[in-house]
Amino acid sequence: MRHLHVYILLAVAVLALAYAPRVNPYWMHVAIIAMFYGILASSWSLLAGYAGLFSLGHMAFASIGGYASALLVQWYGIPIPLGMAAGVALCCALGGLIGWVCLRMSGPYLAIFTLGFAEIVRITFSTEDDITAGMAGLHTEPLFRAATRLPYFYTAFGLLVVSLALMGAIVQSRWGLFLRAIREDEQAAAASGIDVARFRILAFAIASGFAGLAGGFYGHYIGILTPSLGGLDLMAVLVVMAVIGGMERLPTAVGGAFAVEFLLELLREYGQWRLPIFGVILLLTMRFARNGLLTPFWLHFVRLGGGARGAAAVVAPGRKDSRA
Amino acid sequence: MSENGILIEGSRVTKRFGGITANDGVDFAVAEGDLVGLIGPNGSGKTTLINVLTGHLTPDGGKVILRGRQVSGKPAHIYAATGVARTFQSTQLFGRMTVLENLMVPGLTRPRSSAHEVARRARACLEFLNLAHLEQLYAKNLSGGQQKLLELGRCLMLDPAILFLDEPFAGVHPHLRDELIKRIEELHRAGRTFVVVDHDMESILRISRRLVVMARGRKIADGPPEAVRTDQAVLAAYAGL
Amino acid sequence: MSWDYLFIQAANGAVIGIIYALIAVGVTLIFSILKIVNFAHGDLYMLGGYCAYYVITLFGVPPLPAMFVSMAALFTIAIILERLLLTPLYSDATERKDEYGLIVTFGLAFFLRNIAIIAFGPFPLKPPSFISGVQHFGNLIVTNDRLFAGSAGIVLILALLYFMHRTIWGQALDAVSQSREAAAIVGINPRRFNSFAFGVGAALAAAAGALIAPIFSLAPDMGVLPNIQAYVIVILGGMGSVLGSIIAGIALGESEGLFTAFFPDPTRALAYTNAFGVLVLMIVLIFRPNGLFGRRHLRME
Repeated sequence: MRHLHVYILLAVAVLALAYAPRVNPYWMHVAIIAMFYGILASSWSLLAGYAGLFSLGHMAFASIGGYASALLVQWYGIPIPLGMAAGVALCCALGGLIGWVCLRMSGPYLAIFTLGFAEIVRITFSTEDDITAGMAGLHTEPLFRAATRLPYFYTAFGLLVVSLALMGAIVQSRWGLFLRAIREDEQAAAASGIDVARFRILAFAIASGFAGLAGGFYGHYIGILTPSLGGLDLMAVLVVMAVIGGMERLPTAVGGAFAVEFLLELLREYGQWRLPIFGVILLLTMRFARNGLLTPFWLHFVRLGGGARGAAAVVAPGRKDSRA
Repeated sequence: MSENGILIEGSRVTKRFGGITANDGVDFAVAEGDLVGLIGPNGSGKTTLINVLTGHLTPDGGKVILRGRQVSGKPAHIYAATGVARTFQSTQLFGRMTVLENLMVPGLTRPRSSAHEVARRARACLEFLNLAHLEQLYAKNLSGGQQKLLELGRCLMLDPAILFLDEPFAGVHPHLRDELIKRIEELHRAGRTFVVVDHDMESILRISRRLVVMARGRKIADGPPEAVRTDQAVLAAYAGL
Repeated sequence: MSWDYLFIQAANGAVIGIIYALIAVGVTLIFSILKIVNFAHGDLYMLGGYCAYYVITLFGVPPLPAMFVSMAALFTIAIILERLLLTPLYSDATERKDEYGLIVTFGLAFFLRNIAIIAFGPFPLKPPSFISGVQHFGNLIVTNDRLFAGSAGIVLILALLYFMHRTIWGQALDAVSQSREAAAIVGINPRRFNSFAFGVGAALAAAAGALIAPIFSLAPDMGVLPNIQAYVIVILGGMGSVLGSIIAGIALGESEGLFTAFFPDPTRALAYTNAFGVLVLMIVLIFRPNGLFGRRHLRME
């Protein structure tokens, strides 16, 4: 059946939404956090997996988005969605700026640079405590004054779906093709007529905007922001999620985020051991299954519908090849 | 188009890398419809000149004029948009993209290109290059010769006025080399301009209308192949190394 | 602000700078042979510090021998890690080696940091001094530990220089860094030297960790910033130039010291000193975007 996989995904989504009110608050919280990570992992995959820009500053943008929104709401009393939008705009601008500054950096140098950026953001947020409340944590305005987490669940779900739809449209369009061409060979991409600088900046701006969106939502959901949101450890967790799932496709990156977040909760009794365990899983994945553990399943699943998702849709119009 | 039929011109092009002067005031103009062979010993500055003329390097001195417009210093994609295509000395494809996708990329960078139209042209191009049966393969999985063909195809998708081919015959099986030469001649007859760099003297002499010789960063000879072959300076440059 | 305070900052800066240089030399060595930027180097330094600490406190070994034990231990651990994780880097079948090296060493750093929290606890530990007491230079007071750390650091770097220039193994390393293929042809097994270089780099980092431990304290995340400082030094000092590394290390240590001394708000000075080194790195990268290791081959001079 054509597009069978799309119908299956839709059915699962409808079931999840319908079943949500009966989920206990604890697992609902886990699901909300998983969706938060889902936005981050997929936008990081857009940047690192598609464009090949291996940024270690992605969580810093989530942190900036979160703090910006929380502080704007606190100072000026603007509505929370407006604060979040301002956070997204700020992250887009800053992301574009970072993308511009590191235009000539490749591979490890870009990683070092963005790592430096993240550390400076973290140090500034924890040191300027008269503004950000430092390590004590900044109390934020809650998005909903509701007795249950249900509205947050629906909001997170909506944000994730919209983010994936937008990013999916980008990677399926010619922009996605250009980003992959830049990842493969910048010189050849330029010789083929791609404005490499423009697309590198664009990739940074877009991905950082989504990171800021996730961060803004997180801040107004969780109620308190600490500088560690932008720290190296959460960045590493994000890399674990995207790489384990498969960083070169948006759905597998989201799947990785879900899987890791739920496993982190299921393995709660192992306490501190969970992080090094996931470190080992990351290393094993890199060593033996570099395309990600979920990628083969996803490709299989897509084949159910006979589609060619994963390859940009602009590429094979008019022909129904099943290469994904 | 400039009045004298010059398509692209490098004027007094100078490029230094550290202490080495790779191009030392080179004048190099290509007329519309020409097929120029560019030869010279290793390290004579051929690839540097191509990199300057296609926008991949900014010259330290001199300028590049493309269709009467000065373009030196502009990024490479501007050159591509103005009809300059090139291949690379060591084939540079988009390895983890399919053969078809490799051809789609340059096509889609053109303004107002539609995906359907570009796909149709890309498939026609694959037919022309005898690669049609491979369209869903990753480019990195092609053989060396097929990769060279695909790289030529990627140039063609820009619908360029001029193609710079950097060592198209290096490491290519003789059979495939003949194939490549046939394609180049066909395209030339159809009105495209070529600049071909290679060490394969036989092939270069076979195809080129005009031969330019470089040595130690300078142009030492320029003219019809028969004349250049017997030029004393050229013989000295090759013998002197 | 008194001159004495500035002098103390300057003396401390020099010592820290030498320790940075010691870490940076290891980063350089590993890069030149394995062609990867090791994101886990600071964590090897952290492990080295803890290793010396436990050798001292559990077995009653004096600090200096403990440092050597720690170096030997990290040399071994590093070789095991290199064998387990980095061998794909040497295979032609592996694509995108930059990306592989980056994710694997970044993941390794994450693993080591979190294992350290479990094994050693999150709280700072402080081993006994190498040599207790202080030295007076006029009004200037410098602890013996700092003097010792600085001189031991220089001795170790000189030892590495001697090793690289005067021993057959050092010459072989140089050969591998210039061309793996050529080295293989003359009978050098490049794979063995990958392990060896990674091990030596880790051992130097371990020495740095052991030397710094009595001055600052040991903490699981102590390696994050020195790792970044090491990159700064490698860029500023020039690839492979040991003298350059020492000078750049001291320059960075000094400027951090002076930054702390002159920062207008003393309560924030220390926090921003850390950010200062990072900022230097970012600025240097902007001007030399791929210049971390200008030359790809090693020339220890």
